[in-house]
Amino acid sequence: MRLLPLLLVALPTLAAPPGPQSFEVKLKPFLVKNCYACHSAALKTADVNLERYQKESDILADPATWDKVVEMLKTNQMPPKAVPHPPEADVKAAVAWVENSFERAELATPPNAGKVTARRLNRTEYNNTVRDLFGVALRPADDFPEDDSGYGFDNIGDVLSLSPVLMEKYLSSAEKISRAALFGPDQLKPAGERFQPPGRRGVQPKSATDYDETGLSLGSALHVNYHFPADGEYVFRATCDGRRPGVGGADMAFWLDGKLLGVRHIEANDLEGQTREVRVPVTTGEHLVSATFYKVFERLPASFGGLNPVEPPANPGGRGGRGGRGGQPTPPPQPPPNLTPEELAQFQQRIQARQQAAAPQRGPAGLQPPPGKVDFLFIWGPFDQPKGPSPESVKKIFTCGGPDADLTPACERKIVTDLATKAYRRPATTKEIDKLVHLADAAQARGNSAKDSLALSLQAMLVSPNFLFRIERQPEAATAANYRINQYELASRLSYFIWASMPDAELMRCAAQQTLRTPAVLSAQVARMLKDPKAHALVEDFGGQWLETRALESVKPDGRKFGEFDDHLRMLMRQETELFLESVMREDRSVIDLLNGKYTFLNERLAKFYGIPGVKGEEFRKVDLTGTPRGGVWTQASVLTVSSYATRTSPVLRGKWILENILNAPPPPPPPNVPTLDDSKVGQSVSLRQQLEAHRKDAVCASCHSRMDPLGLGLENFDAIGAWRAKDGQIPIDASGTLPDGRTFNGPDGLREILTSQRDAFAECVVDKLLTYALGRGLERYDRRTVREIAKKASVNNYRFSSVVSEIVKSLPFEQRQGEKPQS
Amino acid sequence: MRIVTGKHLQRRTFLKGVGAAIALPFLDAMHPALAAPSASAAPVRIAFAYIPNGVILKDWKPAKEGRDYEFTRILKPLEPHREVFSILSGLDHRNANALGDGGGDHARAGACYLTGVHPKKTSGSDIHAGISADQVAALEVGKNTRFPSLELGCDDSRVVGGCDSGYSCAYTNSISWRTPTTPMPPEINPRVVFERLFGSEDLNLDPATRARRAANRISVLDLVQDDTAQLTGKLGSADRRKIDEYLTAVREIETRIESAEKDNRQINPGLDKPSGIPATFDEYLTLMFDLQLAAFRTDLTRISTIVLGREGSRRVYPEIGVPDPHHPLSHHRNQADPIEKLTKINTYHVGILANYIGRLKSTPDGDGSLLDHTLFCYASAISDGNQHTHEDLPVLLAGRGNGSVKPGRHIVYPKGTRMTNLYMTMLDHVGVHPEFIGDSDGKLDGLSV
Repeated sequence: MRLLPLLLVALPTLAAPPGPQSFEVKLKPFLVKNCYACHSAALKTADVNLERYQKESDILADPATWDKVVEMLKTNQMPPKAVPHPPEADVKAAVAWVENSFERAELATPPNAGKVTARRLNRTEYNNTVRDLFGVALRPADDFPEDDSGYGFDNIGDVLSLSPVLMEKYLSSAEKISRAALFGPDQLKPAGERFQPPGRRGVQPKSATDYDETGLSLGSALHVNYHFPADGEYVFRATCDGRRPGVGGADMAFWLDGKLLGVRHIEANDLEGQTREVRVPVTTGEHLVSATFYKVFERLPASFGGLNPVEPPANPGGRGGRGGRGGQPTPPPQPPPNLTPEELAQFQQRIQARQQAAAPQRGPAGLQPPPGKVDFLFIWGPFDQPKGPSPESVKKIFTCGGPDADLTPACERKIVTDLATKAYRRPATTKEIDKLVHLADAAQARGNSAKDSLALSLQAMLVSPNFLFRIERQPEAATAANYRINQYELASRLSYFIWASMPDAELMRCAAQQTLRTPAVLSAQVARMLKDPKAHALVEDFGGQWLETRALESVKPDGRKFGEFDDHLRMLMRQETELFLESVMREDRSVIDLLNGKYTFLNERLAKFYGIPGVKGEEFRKVDLTGTPRGGVWTQASVLTVSSYATRTSPVLRGKWILENILNAPPPPPPPNVPTLDDSKVGQSVSLRQQLEAHRKDAVCASCHSRMDPLGLGLENFDAIGAWRAKDGQIPIDASGTLPDGRTFNGPDGLREILTSQRDAFAECVVDKLLTYALGRGLERYDRRTVREIAKKASVNNYRFSSVVSEIVKSLPFEQRQGEKPQS
Repeated sequence: MRIVTGKHLQRRTFLKGVGAAIALPFLDAMHPALAAPSASAAPVRIAFAYIPNGVILKDWKPAKEGRDYEFTRILKPLEPHREVFSILSGLDHRNANALGDGGGDHARAGACYLTGVHPKKTSGSDIHAGISADQVAALEVGKNTRFPSLELGCDDSRVVGGCDSGYSCAYTNSISWRTPTTPMPPEINPRVVFERLFGSEDLNLDPATRARRAANRISVLDLVQDDTAQLTGKLGSADRRKIDEYLTAVREIETRIESAEKDNRQINPGLDKPSGIPATFDEYLTLMFDLQLAAFRTDLTRISTIVLGREGSRRVYPEIGVPDPHHPLSHHRNQADPIEKLTKINTYHVGILANYIGRLKSTPDGDGSLLDHTLFCYASAISDGNQHTHEDLPVLLAGRGNGSVKPGRHIVYPKGTRMTNLYMTMLDHVGVHPEFIGDSDGKLDGLSV
């Protein structure tokens, strides 16, 4: 549930609590004077009748309406512009009275820890847990149906459902995992697939000495996102087409997820059908495979101006026939005798075309790379799969005996006990162990081998509800009061919050010794967990959903307008944001850096894309953004792209993004029958800004759009894939904005100042989202004071990341739960 | 080898009780689990396809009723198949309207399409729709095939941000609902669909090993159901609902394992294993249609749904000259340019459908073609995307359903005729007779004459 938006007006709270007469004295006169004219019992404008609240208890009984009243007053949307506006002091006093009233009422009610419904592991959690439990990195959940999300996250217990298809997949993946853990991965037959994605424009190099040497951003490259079914070696085989000028041949480079695998030389300038390959180890899952022309302006004739020129040998009087071997020294070929005038004209045309192809081409924005492209890519494998269980798996499973030794009954029981305890994330009961052992024994009696039977009990663990769900049990004598969840349940909440995976041995030990709740132990564990590489889950899963950058995977910017966008750039955009979030987490910086930190992480291509000079090479490194308009997650290409349409920017989407994810003040949904923009005129005769003016003309539309549009318009200098622009088509960008409270700003720098003045609201927003993710439930009214308290405590430490996380972990709803009287 | 033990049956009855909170329309008594399909006639297959964001009605609906209507621009690609499909006009989904709930027509349309109910407006915890027509059929018909039903789709689920105006993403992600609270999300990756249908290594094992494997699986499922019984006593009510859902799914899988045991044919998929999602929409949808065809042809299932695009889909179609996202376009405000682009999208979809109909026609099945034995409904629960109307929906019904329908016509139904009546009729033709589906008030006349 959303907090009262603190968007634009900061208000003090009254010092002395109001007396019982206060509604009559403090609020009613204000309402009579400024509100009752429309919001009366008779008129009920906008279905709101304020006359029916005649005492404080009436108001307290309807928080939803009064939330809205306060919001309207704070954001200056009410009273409407048409009527005389009351003095600011009166508005402030009225709002303060209402807020105070609610706050006192909240404080008078006992705190409510809330209930989290049993959470089934979502796909990420399933993959991670299986990896940590058995040392098997098969990522079977990549093939599960997608999890439904709620409140912005896909780990919300109430929202995650379990269809029969999913159950089927749980069963078959349990078989695969237990076999892989005990016997090693399934040996797959190598299979191949050929890819020829549609062509793209790519980036035009500025000069033959300053260009993307990797070739990854040029039109000649080929990128494929491929799902690798198993760990092993794979062959990438690329076939080219086209003709390079001169005789220097070409170099082809292969890349995996943007990292260079190898360069292969092609000693021929007629590239048609030329094929080169590499064979490399790859891990299971999705990876980006790229094949490019490397250092494309080298080894060309000198006329191109590139490095290491190679001149073709002089060839006077020879056949100038094959294009590409041309160049200045060779005289143009003679036409054959007896041609008709048309044939002669055609002959001259052909010669001219060849000569043009052999010379450096200039395009509108720069130099055309010489002809030649990777035509298609063949991916084939896996080869040389690892055989047998991995050392990881052996270590995790065989707490006695070994994979090749005979299994004694005592050892079988110990293995089952240890694994079930880890799988169920709490000590397995004797009954549970008995059943699992009995299952294995009965299987052996049916003719299965000993190891197959052990695999069967592993399978049973993996489809047990105790594994698939994080269940928090009520105490024996349950009442409706809050109670402390037990230490094992706390350990699970901690590990799934920070790691999106199961508790490790150390957490389980603290839980077993009942020391996890000791403050010193708890903070030490949180610190340790944040340093662990597994904490990357916070960046990827929390970050990707909070900032909505997960949607980057499926955006398809218009190829004609944004020819530069390809899978490689997509990957780089995602990496920038992940590295930025990761730096705040690992270096324990203030979360406010996410709002306005003047730095980011770039490599050469991304820096060029942003127009930031001086960054060379493939690796990402920290880059200072002082002097540039960028700074803060909302200026990164990833966010700017997911908050745009495929063909153009949308100030409304971007404004909404800021309101939802930075200020935690989401606008209500639009009414039906909303007409759209006339796209064809945008950028030509009419600017986007002018078209959006229509929002502000209608009072109903303006009530929300006067908040959203200015924020998005302030970002108009960033096009729909996040690159800086001074013009939209023909029209220069006007990135100024006026907020409902009258403040103005210009461009991203101005917007940053405005947002920075709201830094406390931003911090609360981060707390709200992080708490939702940590709990796995939506936040209710009674959680508001928890969010405020967490933010307040973290502010003492300047909102450092570890402080925010610690305070969440120590908060009431995280370490306690509301009980429920048992139903008979 | 008998797998169904007496103890087992007892548990199954007990589970039925546990899951009884669902309001099921009255069904005929369930046939015993091990009944064989009738060998005399080829079975009827039922499929539902969904297109999002409505259509441009003026280029969809033919002017004349009856048999000799003229093909409109959007339906033109279906001209070679005039004899095997009908255009049904005038059907409504009244429950997709706001009815006081405010915005959210896309979520309502998606949820209402096959359920006919007005979904509960909530953005998370307490979703509540209804049982969809395909699942009502699958509960009966699905007992005879390895997979009771197959849910396919060509659009990613919405995984970030909100969905439609305060409605949970569950309402737009799935059109198929097993229970009012259990959506059946579609599979969108062709490789995964293929692996699920044909990837089982069990087909190549000898019968003894296969039987042993099946017994192993059943023993695992027995154990976890025991585990669950231990749990339920100590759970809160919300938790118990989740565990019930789990139990229902487990029971379902047990039934499937048993019916799979009876089916030991050698199955030839008839197509290569896909490696993933193809680059262009045409190839993607064609591939998904082919997988559906393969599943029907090999009788792995008889009920299937396919979502060409989620309601509110933002897909772009640069290959036909429409780089703009679909949903914003559908709010065309009666302007010529977006209307033209929308018509192109609608026609594109129908073109791919027409090719599929052709393939169904030329696939032999029993004593005729697969199309002869299929009832295929292609429709949207929004008619005009600009105004979000849910009356006079665009609906096509292809196939002959074993002679139960006589296609080849444009039938215009009187105002107020319910779309769900069509489902009652379709299900009737496969021997499934629920009391009602959603808001149905009878069957649809005129399809069989």
